[in-house]
Amino acid sequence: MTPLAVLLAEQRRRQRSMLARAAGYAALVSAASVLLLGLSGWFITAAAIAGLAGPIVVQGFNYMLPSAAIRLLAIVRTGARYGERLASHEAAFGALARIRPALFRAIAAAPVSRALGFSTGEATARIVQDVGVIETRFAMASAPWGLAAAAVAGACLAVLGGCAAALAVLACLGVLLLVADRLARGLEEPGRAVQRAAGALKDELAAHAAAAAELRCYDLEGWAAARIGARSDVLGEAVATQTAALGWFELAQAVAIALAAGAVTVLAREHGAAIVALGALAAAMTIDGAAPLVRRIAQRGAVREAEARLGGLLEQEAPPVSRGSASVRPSIRLAQSDSPLAPGTRVHLSGRSGAGKTRLVETLLGLRAADRGQIWLDDYDLADLAPADRRDLFAWAPQDAALLSGTVRDNLLLGCADADDTALWDALHDAALDDHVRALPHGLDSWIGENGARLSGGERRRLALARAYLRPAPWLVLDEPSEGLDRATEEVILARLTARLAMTRQGLLLVSHRPALAALCERVVVLDTNAAHQRDVRQPLSVSIPIAAETVAQ
Amino acid sequence: MRSISARPDPLDAVQRLARIVPPAARLWPATALLVGDTLAGIGFAAGISGAVVQVAAGWGALLPWVVLVVAAGMVRGGCALLAARIGAEAAQRTKRGVRAALVTDLLARAPGGRATTGTLLATCVDEVEALDGYVARFLPARSAGALAPLLVLAVTAIASPIAAAILGITLIPFVAAMILAGGAAAEESRRQFGALSRLSGLFADRIRALPILLAFGGEQREAERLGTASDDVALRTMRVLRVAFLSSASLEFFAALSVALVAVYAGFNLLGLLPFPVPEKLDLARAFFVLALAPEFYLPMRRLAAAYHDKQAAQTAVERFPDVLFAPPGVTVAALAPETAPRITLTDVAIAYPGSDAPAIANVSIDIAPCEIVAVVGPSGSGKSSLLHLLLGLAPLSAGRVTIDGVDLGAEISLAAASAWVGQTPLIIPATLRANIALAWPTATADEIEQAALRAGLGPMLAARGLDAPIDARGGGLSGGEIRRIALARALLKPSAVLLLDEPTAHLDQAGEAALVETIRAACRGSTTLIATHSAVLAAIADRIVSLEPRA
Repeated sequence: MTPLAVLLAEQRRRQRSMLARAAGYAALVSAASVLLLGLSGWFITAAAIAGLAGPIVVQGFNYMLPSAAIRLLAIVRTGARYGERLASHEAAFGALARIRPALFRAIAAAPVSRALGFSTGEATARIVQDVGVIETRFAMASAPWGLAAAAVAGACLAVLGGCAAALAVLACLGVLLLVADRLARGLEEPGRAVQRAAGALKDELAAHAAAAAELRCYDLEGWAAARIGARSDVLGEAVATQTAALGWFELAQAVAIALAAGAVTVLAREHGAAIVALGALAAAMTIDGAAPLVRRIAQRGAVREAEARLGGLLEQEAPPVSRGSASVRPSIRLAQSDSPLAPGTRVHLSGRSGAGKTRLVETLLGLRAADRGQIWLDDYDLADLAPADRRDLFAWAPQDAALLSGTVRDNLLLGCADADDTALWDALHDAALDDHVRALPHGLDSWIGENGARLSGGERRRLALARAYLRPAPWLVLDEPSEGLDRATEEVILARLTARLAMTRQGLLLVSHRPALAALCERVVVLDTNAAHQRDVRQPLSVSIPIAAETVAQ
Repeated sequence: MRSISARPDPLDAVQRLARIVPPAARLWPATALLVGDTLAGIGFAAGISGAVVQVAAGWGALLPWVVLVVAAGMVRGGCALLAARIGAEAAQRTKRGVRAALVTDLLARAPGGRATTGTLLATCVDEVEALDGYVARFLPARSAGALAPLLVLAVTAIASPIAAAILGITLIPFVAAMILAGGAAAEESRRQFGALSRLSGLFADRIRALPILLAFGGEQREAERLGTASDDVALRTMRVLRVAFLSSASLEFFAALSVALVAVYAGFNLLGLLPFPVPEKLDLARAFFVLALAPEFYLPMRRLAAAYHDKQAAQTAVERFPDVLFAPPGVTVAALAPETAPRITLTDVAIAYPGSDAPAIANVSIDIAPCEIVAVVGPSGSGKSSLLHLLLGLAPLSAGRVTIDGVDLGAEISLAAASAWVGQTPLIIPATLRANIALAWPTATADEIEQAALRAGLGPMLAARGLDAPIDARGGGLSGGEIRRIALARALLKPSAVLLLDEPTAHLDQAGEAALVETIRAACRGSTTLIATHSAVLAAIADRIVSLEPRA
């Protein structure tokens, strides 16, 4: 069983009572519809015959029971349909709310190269659209029960006109389902095309939305709009093809209804007008009862396609297991460096732009696959330690100062989920951002926009710094923490960082071009400049040199 | 741009939909086909009643009626098939136009807005798709819904005026129920769409921020948050459906009631047992005909009700489209393209983004002479980037004046055509390095591209991989510095009278920066240049340094 099948089965179990209720209601709706029309037809015809036969026959005609039954069936059909719709959708949405987070967990748990390789457009398409398609599967789970009830009720009424009439109704039903199945097979490719086109359109849009100024300067807005427009046209064509193809199902349904009614009329004619009327209308409604199932068959391709994509998302190898575990405060050793970096050491990672400083940091954090024989924590090769196990060791302020859409608090709590307000304000103070946050309309609960769009570049960086401060890890990893800050702010941050390190006894891995910050460090590691331009270098070579050399270089 | 109010006026949504779906959508064939479907339905009813009456009369009399039944069924199916096809084509034309307009607006959006990329993607893709059902199904069903029941009523009246009156009377409570339930459903549907859109935005954001979520071990917490958001959407959707289903249930109820009443009336009429006198005496043919026709009366309205959710979805979607889409066609945007380096004069300029609490900059006055290089410095958040965006028309001028060689730079004129740009998030397309650079000036020769690349400091990359090295959409394998240099190469490739540089040397080391500053100094020659920077080395090449005071 695939992981997706397990997940779906579990949700079906959770929603069992709702699904059962939906199935029961669906059966009631179909049976009531068939009986209602059949009974009405019989009643009128029989009444006409009785009326012609004279007053005595009319006296003997029991009209109360059929007319009461007709009214009752009308009410039952309406109520049952309402109940069926509510129950099936309740089940569908209940299941969805569990499936979405499970998928996000799966993306996050995938090997880093895959997890970080998802474009946002693609990931959104899967989690929002594909899961929406799965919803249909749940909402339509009751369709076969409705069909079965319609078939039983229809056959029971038609058999009053003879076995042949009943068989004809069932045969029409069977042929309709076979035709629908064939049509659905032809729909699979258009369905796939729609999903693909929507994902591609979102990716194209996301890529261009971020570069508005450049597009405008180089007169590329028309070019970008055309690129996006081409994707939009592909999607539009795909949707139109799919919608047009759905018309064939309606054609099949209408023809089947007419054939069933016609066949019963011909086959039951020996049994008199009243039975013909009953059988013909019941036959028409029996085929009408297949409509939900035919619709479900029409969507089959889209459901399969979405399930295949989601299945691929969930399908993955077991998470890597660490061979051994580093200490709570490990030392870091880099290839070709003479001595390990002891816990609590303040280290400046230096080197040209492109020498791989950020790459080294991301490797340590398990955001890139680690090559064997390049970095060790204590005596363990980084490649032997699972990324999840070593992420606790580092408190990271990334170069791009990536933030979550949300509030200041949302972002800070990522550093330490159970920090109290005092700790949050302390961290903001040390990052020289407390005054600014205090001035915001809602303080810690102010909305900062997508990736901190409502903050300036420097404010974003300081918020990312405060978030790193909050994380109780033995190594603080700061990638260009003062880039884009003015000198005065940088000095404040430097002074408070110095005090903070003295208190926490954290080690520091610093990537910075700013001499003032670099002066804080006791050791410097220069990454080899040539390494960046070699084609296949995952890990830069590194050498460790005494602090004196660094001062000269500055 | 007016911000979208929390409780949009429903009339507004109707007007918006009317503007979006032009009369040119050519929907009348679809409507005609749906009316044709009703005509076939009348044929079906006539066929089946004829057959029931003629059952005893033998084959010759029966067969024509059976053939009529089957033929009517086929015509019905054919009408549905063609109506679906025509509707789909009309919907495709509408969506295409709307999406193109949305994309144009998206690309012209000021980078300071509140909407997240995920939300914008949902607007451009999913919410435009929400128009599909409205055009393809709802609009034809609405026109047919007005015509077809009248047709059925008229035909019924010919057979039995009383039965027609019964059908007509059930219509009154039905319409009342639809109006009551429909209004409530529209309100709920609006809220549900909002929740779904937020959910989509949240997912896109957390996928974007996955590196930090992983690094901080926050993925479990965020998964739970997404679960809560999904629950919220489920709750809202159920609330929508409870009301929407109620309105369709009332429709079903009256449809079933009309069939039952006609059946009971016709039966009692035939039996002669009606408790009140009626001016008509039915026979079997007419009675059966009106019974078989009764479901047809409500069918067009049931079709309309089935498409009603399409209308609500479309209304909700258009309310979330930016207002600019519905503005009357404005004046053509004039591009200001001075051939030679212009004089740029800013007088008491202020920039305030919509939805922002404080202006990004205020009271800024700078006079930049032709070919002058001005460095704009100032603490983080002092609005240096906004100033550059203003000249491209990407940031709103909320006060003051900007003149280029004495010509006012209003909302309709930007300097973009004459400018080159190096920003903080360069566009990287999945193509070769050459194609990426050539975006700035498509007519450039291979030699010019190479020169630009070399001058931007991409020499080592050219030596290692060459100009035809492929680059993927995420710029994978490139360092932050290299991406900046590609942007710089673009700026150097385009012959421009104005150079706008937004932190062009950030993330470069000192040696690299020094080399690049020399390149920039050379590139600035002949252009009016505005550099937003923190770097003292870069600012030093400027003729003048303007300091933006931090805003209190």
